Amino acid sequence: MTHVNRLRDYLRHPFWLAIALLVAAYIVFEFGVAYLPPLFGVRSAPIPDSVLLQYLITAAVGILIYVSDNEERWKRFKEPVGTLLVDPGLRWLRTALLVLVPLAVGWLTYSQVRPGVAAPVQLRSIHPAPPTSISFRGRTIRLTGLENPLRADGSIEEDYEVGKRVYYGNCLPCHGDLLDGNGHYAHGFNPPPLAFTDNGTIPQLTESFVFWRIAKGGPGLPTEGTPWNSAMPAWEPILTEDEIWAVTIFLYEQTGWTPRTWEHEGEAGAEGGHD
Amino acid sequence: MTRAATIAFGLALWWIATPALAQDTERGRELYDRWCAECHGTDGAGEGSAAAYMMPRPRDFTTGLYQIRTTANGELPTDADLVRVIEDGMPGTAMPGWESKFSDDEVRDLVAYIKDFSDFFELFGAPEPLEFGDRPGADAEALAEGRRLYEQIECWKCHGDRGRGDGPSAPTLQDDLDFPIRAADLSENWNFNGGGRVQDIYRRLRTGMDGTPMPSFSDLIDSGFMTDEQMWYLAAYVRSLSPPERPRVRDVIAARRVEGRVPAAADDSAWNAVPPYYVPLVGQIIEQPRWFAPGVDGLYIRALHDGATLALRVTWHDPSQSPDPDWLEWQGWVAETVQPAPEAEPTALLPDRLVVQFPTAIPTGRERPYFLMGDSRRPVYLWEWSSDAGAHEAWASGLGTRAPLDGGDLSAAAEWEAGAWTVVFQRPLAAADTATTLSFRSGVAIPIAFFAWDGSNGESGAQMAVSSWYSIYLEEPTPKTVYVSPVLAMLVTAGLGVLVVWRAQRREVEGSSQQ
Repeated sequence: MTHVNRLRDYLRHPFWLAIALLVAAYIVFEFGVAYLPPLFGVRSAPIPDSVLLQYLITAAVGILIYVSDNEERWKRFKEPVGTLLVDPGLRWLRTALLVLVPLAVGWLTYSQVRPGVAAPVQLRSIHPAPPTSISFRGRTIRLTGLENPLRADGSIEEDYEVGKRVYYGNCLPCHGDLLDGNGHYAHGFNPPPLAFTDNGTIPQLTESFVFWRIAKGGPGLPTEGTPWNSAMPAWEPILTEDEIWAVTIFLYEQTGWTPRTWEHEGEAGAEGGHD
Repeated sequence: MTRAATIAFGLALWWIATPALAQDTERGRELYDRWCAECHGTDGAGEGSAAAYMMPRPRDFTTGLYQIRTTANGELPTDADLVRVIEDGMPGTAMPGWESKFSDDEVRDLVAYIKDFSDFFELFGAPEPLEFGDRPGADAEALAEGRRLYEQIECWKCHGDRGRGDGPSAPTLQDDLDFPIRAADLSENWNFNGGGRVQDIYRRLRTGMDGTPMPSFSDLIDSGFMTDEQMWYLAAYVRSLSPPERPRVRDVIAARRVEGRVPAAADDSAWNAVPPYYVPLVGQIIEQPRWFAPGVDGLYIRALHDGATLALRVTWHDPSQSPDPDWLEWQGWVAETVQPAPEAEPTALLPDRLVVQFPTAIPTGRERPYFLMGDSRRPVYLWEWSSDAGAHEAWASGLGTRAPLDGGDLSAAAEWEAGAWTVVFQRPLAAADTATTLSFRSGVAIPIAFFAWDGSNGESGAQMAVSSWYSIYLEEPTPKTVYVSPVLAMLVTAGLGVLVVWRAQRREVEGSSQQ
């Protein structure tokens, strides 16, 4: 119990409270936040270091505002620092810090300036803006407002079967059985093949966009989609128009997503367009 | 028997039988048709529409033959064995793990349906798994004993002396359905169909891999030829042929700067100064004719430069030193098995080839040539090596457009040993003709990509293994100024620290003297 009481005394002191809050914030950001998205059925990933640093700085500023908000609290907050600087009993700690802190700063500076081996950052737009029309095997197809013609005529089940055949004969090695972008060839490519199971992919797109990406592939990407490293082939020479529309139906049916339609596109456009 | 007793008996039977009935084969069929049939076929015979684009082929469920089991040689697998393969997949094949997709109930229904494809499950009932003892520790002596057994029971006949699948019998291997099958490359355990851990290897040794030429060695224990412990040592030895971890793929290949000249020979100890960079390769399935059965699945690359010359050492596993007539029959089998078939005649003796691809100039912006041999706007510069013609420089602006470059300063030394090629390229950093040829510069990331052909697998032309773009970075000598700023930063920090302490203490002294 005495330990608990001592801990409580420490936490009453604004300096140690501030330290404890900062450590707690770090633990939550580093280890806790990644568990939040799965609660809503969204795939998770650890926070990148740069974002972590931003969060921590924000937290530190908040804590500083809190401790300096009240004159008495601010005075008490500064006490341990003052003690450390002058107390004869803390001479060894003081000397140690005077040696260790400059060493740490030196090391940080060195790791910043030493020559590093890094590839140039390759920023690219995952979903670049589609052209209003494309030329497909010599025929002009207007993409804006275009819906999948197979949904109007013929049965979806037949189109699904045709699309499935197309998918397994062409797309499977990269995009995989589970349509999660993890086929048995996926590890050979960077950027990795698109995961259609991801809710940031085909559910955000119209079928005409998907048609354009399949028909024109990596080589048909506009400038913002460079640097031409995508291994996605242009399927125009291999697949017919109907086959591309059929495999589009397969992608949506197999993943259970529904495509964006042009009515929705208009609404979203009013809110600032799609990414 | 009274009527009540009969009813009670019937109820008891029904209750006992219920767990078996809970496996819903109808629901299993729906899942199977939706997710499995395109490879394994609606009739389960392993002949779905995608089967011809795979090597090894999808399993034929009608035979009841299964590779990955915990049961004795020739026995059916247990339900748990089938569940494990569905959930974890089969590394080194096109079979993915389905654990993230299917619930436990769905997997159970699928297992029930898959078993329906073969009468054997009903005829022979539930098989008994083998007893597997605990794994003993394996020290250097145990590994030596494992090696001795590897030689004695002739694992090397198929898997080769160093385990790279290059044994003398390797070109003759077919499975029970007469499809060609490769002896596993034991130095790449991440591709082992049944898993790469010591206990996985031990189980494959005990159970064999039914339907393939891999036999069970349990009879050697039964007959007293070797002990169970020795089998574990053999498994530990096989595991030791692979690196401790699957090699990590990194974007940038660092070419370290060496003092003196860069090495020209593959076995020069100077190469040990740099780690190998692993680059995975996959089939070229983008432009026709496509290729779904690449023989080369990865390269190990080391790079050095001396300020004047760049040396690149590329090693890859290839069980055949092509052109090799011993592999002609194999080449024919592959041609019959894989779609689209090789363009080259199945009887043509083809060389092994390797191409290292660069842009013709270091890109200044974000644009790079199309990774597959460039395009008309941005051509590429190639280092070509083949086992029958040595090394040449070439130039291409799209697949199938390559043109050799005359002259040039590229040299290469190659050797094939125990199932692996090693090629050492050397070229001066400065190019003789900068219009077609890349001039290397240190301190920048230069795009680099790789292509490889296994001639004995029928590969030529566009039918090859490919990588996408990586970078090579020629390290610069560390400038002295790098050490100046850290020292300055340390001095300033220490000075400030001393100043703060000194001022605080002076104020304290002044404060107390005023009191």
